[in-house]
Amino acid sequence: MKKKLLSLLLATAMTASLAGCGGGGKSAADAMDEAQESAASGQEGQADQTQQESQAKTEPAGEGNGEAKELDTSERVDLVVYQLGDAPADEAKVEEKINEILLEKLNVTVDFQFTTWVDWQQKYSLQLTTGGVDLVYTANWSEYGKLASSGAFLPLDDLLNTVSPEMRKTLGEDALNQCRVNGELYTIPCNYLEYTCNGILYREDLREKYDLPAPNTVENIEAYLTGIKENEPEQQLLDVSGQENMGQVFNFKYPWVTFTGIPYGLSINYDTPTEVEDYWFSDDFTDDMKTMKKWADMGFWSRSALSNTPQEEALENGLAVMYFSGYNPAKAVGVKAKLEETHPDWKVEYIAFGETNGVIFPANRQTNGTAISKDCKDPERAMKVIELLLMDEELNHLAMGGIEGEHYELDENGIYQNLSDKFPYGGFNTWNLYNKDYWLSTETSAELNEMFAKYEELGAKTKFPNTDIFGGFTEDTSAYATEYSAVQNVCDQYLKPLQIGTVDDVDAAVAQFREKLKEAGIEACREGFKEQWLAYCEQYGYK
Amino acid sequence: MKVKISKSMIVFQCIAYVLLALGAVVCVAPFLIILSGSLTDDAIIIKEGYSILPRGFTLAAYETIFKVPGEILQAYKMTIFYTVVGTVLGLLMITLTAYVISRKEFKYRNQVSFLIYFTTLFGGGMIPWYLMYANVLNLKGSTFPIWFPGLMSPFLIILMRTFISESVPDAITESAKLDGAGHVTIFFRIILPVLGPGLATVGLFLALGYWNDWYRSSMFSVSQDTWELQFYLYNLLNASSSMKQMAQSANIAMTDIPTQSMKLAMAVVVTGPVLLFYPFVQRYFVSGITVGAVKG
Repeated sequence: MKKKLLSLLLATAMTASLAGCGGGGKSAADAMDEAQESAASGQEGQADQTQQESQAKTEPAGEGNGEAKELDTSERVDLVVYQLGDAPADEAKVEEKINEILLEKLNVTVDFQFTTWVDWQQKYSLQLTTGGVDLVYTANWSEYGKLASSGAFLPLDDLLNTVSPEMRKTLGEDALNQCRVNGELYTIPCNYLEYTCNGILYREDLREKYDLPAPNTVENIEAYLTGIKENEPEQQLLDVSGQENMGQVFNFKYPWVTFTGIPYGLSINYDTPTEVEDYWFSDDFTDDMKTMKKWADMGFWSRSALSNTPQEEALENGLAVMYFSGYNPAKAVGVKAKLEETHPDWKVEYIAFGETNGVIFPANRQTNGTAISKDCKDPERAMKVIELLLMDEELNHLAMGGIEGEHYELDENGIYQNLSDKFPYGGFNTWNLYNKDYWLSTETSAELNEMFAKYEELGAKTKFPNTDIFGGFTEDTSAYATEYSAVQNVCDQYLKPLQIGTVDDVDAAVAQFREKLKEAGIEACREGFKEQWLAYCEQYGYK
Repeated sequence: MKVKISKSMIVFQCIAYVLLALGAVVCVAPFLIILSGSLTDDAIIIKEGYSILPRGFTLAAYETIFKVPGEILQAYKMTIFYTVVGTVLGLLMITLTAYVISRKEFKYRNQVSFLIYFTTLFGGGMIPWYLMYANVLNLKGSTFPIWFPGLMSPFLIILMRTFISESVPDAITESAKLDGAGHVTIFFRIILPVLGPGLATVGLFLALGYWNDWYRSSMFSVSQDTWELQFYLYNLLNASSSMKQMAQSANIAMTDIPTQSMKLAMAVVVTGPVLLFYPFVQRYFVSGITVGAVKG
């Protein structure tokens, strides 16, 4: 009897632990499914939430351009807004101001809560699965697509029509369509087009001094770096580490659909998204790796690059003359501003890959958005809150800049000047509330807008004018998870040395890399990816 | 009378001292580097790397940290609170539990011991744990879920049980019982007084556990007011790396990323008190572990 009881206990405990311990390593969506089960029993309000949901559905969807219907504001609702990152010191003060207005308009208060940067992915998905948040920041890099398709957010089409038809018009169907997952809209994008294209940042003053070509192609980079090496042999050229995405530089050569690299060494050109070609097994790849080897041999970077940790601010401290991965316009402008203070005699310039290869587009609209959680206490008023925070000038400025006169002021040119560390620019990390109409210009944003204007012109000439077609795609690797991680390991082990040029014989190393890829099951990954990608292109009409 | 020191003894001592000195250097050097780095000008660290002695001596990093000391002091205050409450309550509960399951007259002691031991093998996992505090008990944001989960650990209970049965012979409690003492008297007047090293060991384990914890703050704190010190530090260091990762895909401005020397200064500020405190309890720590463990 005793034994029976014990074994029963053991069995229950084992199932429980099996069901529960997934949180750490697994993806957000997996954790989601698990937690939903365990949450179901403990969660109060689950029942009336579904009720609300069905209510929202059964209500006649208002005409797209009809009047917003009156909201029932008789009872006060306290909404929790979940944002990434750290809270500003004056969180409470600014919240109070925002709530004064929201209480008057909607009888609603908001409480901003933050993931902090420690384990934010884990906490973000945990918070979504366990409830307790109403409005949620979403981004494609925080697994918006996956979470949306696993049911973490409410579909918003009907709500938009009934509550905020105005906002729908302002944002435009095109922006909303980019945010659809399986045909449903789950997030309200910010009203701002950002060019997050990558490119290289280099020391222009040295280029002028030695009359070198601007490094806007792979060949010119070589000429530029060689020229500096000849004239200033002491100067370190590049700070390269194993964590760097070295392959990015070849965006100068290929009009790829994404600059961060297409998964599994495939090659998809922006103009022909449905033609998925091969890169790793092509001669182009071998040639490119030979270029890297040549550069390494020419001493463009340290011999021990593979094991180096990246230096912070290498260029700013004179330890490099160029950054060639991971630099987008905003960061470039930031570096420029910093150097004006520390090294006014230096000059840096930024060249986006798209200026050379012709493929340039603003970030996909999924990048910054606000979703309504499935557990939201009052979806209708939550939608109205999104609208007010995004489209009401006073509230938008409060959320982005804090209290005027205390946290910031506008100088005579209307430029934002920060007054207090306690609420920096965008202190709530509300990148999802960017609105081009109420933008608080900073000293750097003028320059940034100039760059964006230039890119917009270029982007208009592309096949899908100013559209990031890859950014809305989320790959689901669960069907080939084993192969996926095996391929990642092969890349770490065999691709990195190739890219950093530390191999002796490029041809042999490439052959070995390919051999290992096949063993790891690259084909399964490629098949799976291709199928999903083509379905995605079909869905969004990228042909 | 002078004790004659043999030659072999001298050789042995020389070797021992050299080895120990080397060991000490290996332990102390990293800390010296942290200390000197925190006193070095940031630009020099980036250009020339770390050194044992600070070059370009500056107190700038400490000045930045203590310019707004409120946050750090609050985190200090909270950590001290968690450590004191957690250690005192934890010690009491662990000792009481250990006493009960060390009594031979307790009929179900094997079963209870097994249940305690069992939790080291199988746990509910993170999500149910989180749900329990956040949704069922609704305590997210309070200080309770930060100090409560650390009160007892199976390892410490077993350590304490072994310690009790080793250091208090049954005959003593038996005779006390014959004299009419109840369990409360036996526990407080006979067992507790001889548990010195055991209490110190378990207490130190608990205290260090609380002092070094950051995870519970990460899960359950809503505002910065309840942050543990280590979490404050960890978050500060983490912010720069995660923002860097994201900045590549999203245009996110990088604000106020702490400099190298500031990170090191933070490390000094946070570890300082433990370093001062440790030597005083260390002797209990060593003796406690050797007495309590292994024989279980």
